[in-house]
Amino acid sequence: MRKVALRGLLARRVRLALTALAVALGVMLIAGTYVFTDTINSSFDRIFTSSLAKTDVAVTPNDDLTSDGFEGVDPIPADILQRIQGLPGVAAASGGLFDESGTILDREGEPISNGAPNFIASRAQLDRFEAFDVAEGRMPSGPGEVALDKSTAERKDLEVGGTVDVIGREPRKRYTIVGTVQIAGADSFGGAGVALMTLPEAQRMTGKRGAFDQIDVAAAEGTGAEALRRTIREALPARYDVRTGEQEAAQLSDDIREQFGFLTTALLAFAGIALFVGAFIIFNTFSITVAQRAREFALLRTLGASRRQVMRSVLTEGAVLGALGSAVGLGLGILVAKGLKAMFYAIGFDVPAQGTVLETRTIVVSLAVGILVTLVASLAPALRATRVPPVAALREGVAMPETRSSRLAFPLAVVLTSAGIAALVAALAVVSDTTTGLTLAGIGAAATFIGVGLMSPKLVGPIAAVVGRPLSRRLTGRLARENAVRQPGRTAATAAALMIGVALVSFASIFAASAKETVAGYIDRGLIGDVVVQNKDGFTPFSGGARELLAALPGVDDVAAFRFAQVRIDGEDKGVTGVDPDTIGAVYDVTSGDDVIAGLKDGEIAVSSDYAEDEGLRAGSVLTVRTARRAQLRLRVAGTYEDKAELLGARVMSNETVGREIGASRDSYLFLGLADGAAARAAVERALRRDFPQIEALTAEEFKDDQAAQIDQLLGLIYALLALAIIVSLFGIVNTLALSITERTRELGMLRAIGTSRRQVRSMIRQESMIIAVIGGVLGLAVGVVLAIVFTTAIGDIELHVPASSLVVLLVLSAVAGVLAAALPARRAARLNVLDALAHE
Amino acid sequence: MSTTPLVAAEQLIRTYGTGEATVHALAGVTVELPAKQFTAIMGPSGSGKSTLMHVLAGLDRPTSGRVVLDGVDITGLDDGALTRLRRDRIGFVFQSFNLLSVLTAQENILLPLSIAGRAPDAAWVDQLVGVVGLTDRLHHRPAELSGGQQQRVAVARALASRPAIVFADEPTGNLDSATSAEVLALLRRSVDEFDQTIVMVTHDPGAAAIADRIITLRDGRIVSDERAGDGIAVAERA
Repeated sequence: MRKVALRGLLARRVRLALTALAVALGVMLIAGTYVFTDTINSSFDRIFTSSLAKTDVAVTPNDDLTSDGFEGVDPIPADILQRIQGLPGVAAASGGLFDESGTILDREGEPISNGAPNFIASRAQLDRFEAFDVAEGRMPSGPGEVALDKSTAERKDLEVGGTVDVIGREPRKRYTIVGTVQIAGADSFGGAGVALMTLPEAQRMTGKRGAFDQIDVAAAEGTGAEALRRTIREALPARYDVRTGEQEAAQLSDDIREQFGFLTTALLAFAGIALFVGAFIIFNTFSITVAQRAREFALLRTLGASRRQVMRSVLTEGAVLGALGSAVGLGLGILVAKGLKAMFYAIGFDVPAQGTVLETRTIVVSLAVGILVTLVASLAPALRATRVPPVAALREGVAMPETRSSRLAFPLAVVLTSAGIAALVAALAVVSDTTTGLTLAGIGAAATFIGVGLMSPKLVGPIAAVVGRPLSRRLTGRLARENAVRQPGRTAATAAALMIGVALVSFASIFAASAKETVAGYIDRGLIGDVVVQNKDGFTPFSGGARELLAALPGVDDVAAFRFAQVRIDGEDKGVTGVDPDTIGAVYDVTSGDDVIAGLKDGEIAVSSDYAEDEGLRAGSVLTVRTARRAQLRLRVAGTYEDKAELLGARVMSNETVGREIGASRDSYLFLGLADGAAARAAVERALRRDFPQIEALTAEEFKDDQAAQIDQLLGLIYALLALAIIVSLFGIVNTLALSITERTRELGMLRAIGTSRRQVRSMIRQESMIIAVIGGVLGLAVGVVLAIVFTTAIGDIELHVPASSLVVLLVLSAVAGVLAAALPARRAARLNVLDALAHE
Repeated sequence: MSTTPLVAAEQLIRTYGTGEATVHALAGVTVELPAKQFTAIMGPSGSGKSTLMHVLAGLDRPTSGRVVLDGVDITGLDDGALTRLRRDRIGFVFQSFNLLSVLTAQENILLPLSIAGRAPDAAWVDQLVGVVGLTDRLHHRPAELSGGQQQRVAVARALASRPAIVFADEPTGNLDSATSAEVLALLRRSVDEFDQTIVMVTHDPGAAAIADRIITLRDGRIVSDERAGDGIAVAERA
């Protein structure tokens, strides 16, 4: 029996290849994601291990509260270094800086990256702790000298002997490039730009005079690293982390893994979508081939094969197909990993990905997932194959027996769809835990798609009638429409695969349009100043020096800074916003409670009325927050406010308090009120270009466009990843058409015999494909719109905005995709030999 | 029957395969088929009768020799021209009906005209539908028709575009004797009443007897070519 299954596969090689591709593309993204992130992780491991190789113990500030983009941890003061140097078992200790707040400028005076951090690092005081190797030139030795990482120097054409401008907490300064450096053989520090300076210069530029981000300690002869760690641990306050070099490297690796963990999860989610679509294709292909081979199965049964054997034969096909597809996917995945690296490089992240790390886990997961998906998808068709009665072998034109459940299918589908939507709502509105929420949302979405997929055989006819109407004036169109609905189940499953991709694309585009609209609404409501100042990357905070610089300019009437920091309240991390109470009223419109905000004093906090209600706070209450410095702050609640523009969040403090007590010294936004006329704006831009070229001044309209552009960039990425799922579903259309054409060979032969031209045959197949694709598109749009409504309603803060023109474009693209998918099947159908086709059984 | 031949075939040779496996389906057939005549081509399996019909109808190309149909040398035509020729001047009736299951009886009848994008001659079609006896079944799909009804639809389809010639390939092969007689009578009537030219391939002598002329093939050659007897009587006896 196994031989029958394998021979069967060989006999249908093209079909096999197409179906295997449906699995392969999903597996490809799984494998690609793993290989890519594993390669990054291993490269980082190497960097960290190598840079800490000579460090027996590393001391760093404890930063369990701060995350990216937030500050708050004080550097280690010099007296701690002295204390360590005096401890027994210490051979040497020195402090260094590795500060993320720098900006390196390219030759045009623009920031070198649009997202990857730039570090201002200090050259090690003791050579034994030096993590960097000189690639060219030498290490910096004076206040005007800098060495750059080799990757940045090469990419930005910054040559040794030339100059480079660097901005830190201090304004822009020009340095002579005296060398380029590598780390652990890599040209870049994980994609970040590094400006290596002498320690005093780095301390000056970062505003960390006399302080360090890390202290490296070497143990004296005869002292073990762990023993030394314990000695230092006991001597230092808890706000410092003390780890052995190995532990520190492991910790850094873990942090990186966590940072890239999001990327891994996101990419795997898209791989999951592609596989889900692939499962539809496999299910459909197997359903069709099983139906076409009903007589073969009946014959096997007549010859004495048991149902179990028939079933096993179909499942064997599935397993072989899955294994084949997965293996191809795994191979492609390695290429995809390289492609991902190239893509990241192109958008400015030179992630360190040396070599190709293919872990056993990658192979096992890729193969297992691919085979499992194929088997699950072929289970129902396999079961159906067992229901063919042996007597069918003797009858002509056997139809597959209808499944007993088919009458229940529609109500079941409705229930499943409703349950899926309910799960989505629950995931968004009820569940607070992110992992549970995402899992539930995924299950909900899958249930919705399967539900609509099961419903769609009933919808195929009506939709095709509408879509096909304009085509039906010609015979080819009429036949295309009839053929598309001839087997509603088959068309439905094929269209459903496309539906998933279209639904997600339309959902994303509606969601993005709504988000843009909402943000624009916030800006309209909140911003009453003339200009918003922000980092060109849109999110990195910048030095408080910019505020001082701009406030002193003629024509700048009001400047209000906004800072975002994190504190811990009752064990949970919460954001706080820092504002300038004196000036905020002139540039930002709070819905209510502006007097509370304007009157905020040092040591006070204002809370949103919602938060006050939830927590039972009112003016005069005391709110205790823990800062990153491990200090407990008792803040007096000054009052409540309402902010419909959503910039302030739920908690507001003065920048004075935020800067001094929480340690957030950098600003995320400045809102400016300018004197009339163009002069003031020009003065602002001139000053920024001179001293802080990494930040920009935008009018309300420009700011809206910038926000929209950021959303669009993300949307573009999502589209690119969803394209994979859509490509898979197009393979499904190709497959279905090819199988249907095989079934209709004799009919095509007759049509050709009585005078249908090849062009007409091609046009008929293309239109059939287009109808299937448009059915998928219509279903997808419907599901996408419903999902978007559910999401925006459940989230609540977003105004629904449906970009009708985008959706129309999407529908047209579906139709075009359908026509493209038909290219090969149509050609084959048109080329059929008339006589052979007429003789076809 | 001294009219100019509607179809003239000269020295038709059709071989399949090469080397020792070469099969001579037609080993030199020369034949003329006058208009308005009902010709039956007979012969046992493998005699080349189907190949002859395929070559005459422009469905297959001879290895050598030539076919002139309705004044056109079809052996030199490309696929497009052959397709148009079949569409405009030839009608087909197949053994297995070959109706489109997704179209109604009426749509199937009008199919060749639809393919050509030509408006049907309403009066002619009405008459035709009446003759084949399908007036009340026009809006049924093939699956709802009996075999005989389906073949009558197929005959009507072949006649709908008033082709120069109709080729019928074993038209009664899938029918019982009563319905066979109906279909044969229909073909006969179309020759007698509508001056249709028909070439029918069959291995059933009873069916062939309805023709004006019976050509018998064996091993790719014509072995006899004779006038048939009183065809209608034969058909009615069957």
